[in-house]
Amino acid sequence: MTVAASTVAPTRHRRKLTVSEISGKTAAWIVMILFALFSVIPMSWLILAPSKNQVELQSEAPMSFGSFQGYIDAWNNLMVFQDGRLLTWLWNSIWYTGIQVVVASAVALLAGYALAATRMPFRKSLLITTLIAMIVPQVAFVFPLFIEITTLGIYDTAWAIILPGTFFPFGVFLAYIYFSTTIPPELYDAARIDGSGDWGVFWRVALPLSKGLIGMLAFFSFQVNWINFFLPYIVVTSGDVLTLPVGLGILFSSTPALNPQVGANVLPIRGPEIALAGLLVAIPILLVFLASARLLVRGVLAGSVKS
Amino acid sequence: MLKHRARLMGQINGILMFLPYLILLITFAIIPIVLAISVSFETSLTNPNGGFGNYLFVLQDFRFLPAVLNVSLFLALYLPAMLIVVAGLSLLLDTIQAKYSVPLRLAYLVPAGITGTVAILVWYFMLEPSYSPFAALFAEVGWTEGNDLFNTSNLVWIFALMTFFTGAGNWIVIQYGSLQSIPDELLEAARIDGANVWQVAFRIKLPLIRKYLVYMLILVMAAGLQIFVEPYLISSSVYPGIAKDWSLNQLAYTFAFLGSNLGAATALSLMLLIVMIILALFVIFRTDFFDEAKGKIKEAR
Repeated sequence: MTVAASTVAPTRHRRKLTVSEISGKTAAWIVMILFALFSVIPMSWLILAPSKNQVELQSEAPMSFGSFQGYIDAWNNLMVFQDGRLLTWLWNSIWYTGIQVVVASAVALLAGYALAATRMPFRKSLLITTLIAMIVPQVAFVFPLFIEITTLGIYDTAWAIILPGTFFPFGVFLAYIYFSTTIPPELYDAARIDGSGDWGVFWRVALPLSKGLIGMLAFFSFQVNWINFFLPYIVVTSGDVLTLPVGLGILFSSTPALNPQVGANVLPIRGPEIALAGLLVAIPILLVFLASARLLVRGVLAGSVKS
Repeated sequence: MLKHRARLMGQINGILMFLPYLILLITFAIIPIVLAISVSFETSLTNPNGGFGNYLFVLQDFRFLPAVLNVSLFLALYLPAMLIVVAGLSLLLDTIQAKYSVPLRLAYLVPAGITGTVAILVWYFMLEPSYSPFAALFAEVGWTEGNDLFNTSNLVWIFALMTFFTGAGNWIVIQYGSLQSIPDELLEAARIDGANVWQVAFRIKLPLIRKYLVYMLILVMAAGLQIFVEPYLISSSVYPGIAKDWSLNQLAYTFAFLGSNLGAATALSLMLLIVMIILALFVIFRTDFFDEAKGKIKEAR
């Protein structure tokens, strides 16, 4: 990827517009704005829902705002569920994902650099293996991993969730592409001539130039691990080891919020409460995506193909 | 002599840097597959003769074919929708000035937050007439009760809708990024030759991002084949049993944890894995998507 080519979009040639072009443009804007509206409505609803109580949620206009007290009430009601179990799930999700992001990114940086800039043997076959692993979704490994995890004896521990999440072939590929295209190879050579070893070049030349790459690695590993459901769901059973997305699934099936058959009048967990719990999962992802919007546009794919 | 030594040091350092990842690759990809293969061939109560018994058991199970059909139908709705909307909207976005498209791009990224478990939660409320902001719209079509929408024949549409909205927006932004990197001289040349906006979009831009779109489709298809959370959670909460054993992964889950037949579950997931690996090999060797990446290593040698 040449950074210059993809970041600057010079203003394109302008000339007089014809009538058909103007109507075409209007139609294009309508389509784009409609899609934007449909994109924003579900999240807005989710943000507004906890401001109302269960009755208002159904009687008031769907996109109306109740009161700030609504959020506090919903939160207090959520805390009734197994004495604030939700906080444990939230904390678990935070520290599991934290370890995963740091380890996965560091491992990917090293491996990508090794593929791109050292004379390591078997590079081509290791790259192909990484490409395969990156295209096959992690869910495909769930049952094989389940067998391994029970064999290793880490079933129902935090490590059963954390460790598989540090395997991040897509990150290795991103780092490899970055180190082999964005940073000119002459730079590595120059540092070598100045007497730096491979590690020195990595530390003093490659790493300081890879802020964008590190951001992307953190973004993608956060995104997959924060919302992961299937693997955590089958390798952990104890309530105090679970993560937030799995916990949310438990709230679905064991509270009257989505499942009126269950304990209808026992738990105060209804629509507003479940929406608030959902927000705890959704907001971090949303923020991370919005913060990374520029990285995405700069061409995650363009980076992998263009030179 | 000195050069030879430097070369050897380079190799050793490379291996050391690659080692942590290699360990993870072996531990969390290769060993699990080997273990799963051995479990799938093991003799057990349900597989008394060992060998391919578990695979036959899966293929002959009465739920297998319906699950294959469900997932195929799901993909038949989901993939074309992704292709058309992502290609269409990224091309449209590319026709307006970058600064005006910023709010649109941010809006398109918002549904990325509604994924996995949250997607089921949100879409349940979006589709339940008593809560939905679209209730008036639904009423026009005659849907006034939850059951009008949540019934077995609509499920495939609902799951396609959920997964489509989760991914479409960020793929639009990503493909828009690829479009932005097309050199302006190329587009200018086409315009001077008399091509109008549509011709530029379909004859020049679309062919240039074709391989990114193919790549997207393969990734999306690989993920779609594995659909689990959406049908599983709908079925275990809102409408109990409505989508029981609807997808292949749900069936594998049922084999493993309700039928205590891990052999059949791993046989099924290995069959899915083979499909994935074939898809992956196709992208790697039969499309030009990774040519650049592979080429880099060759020239360095």
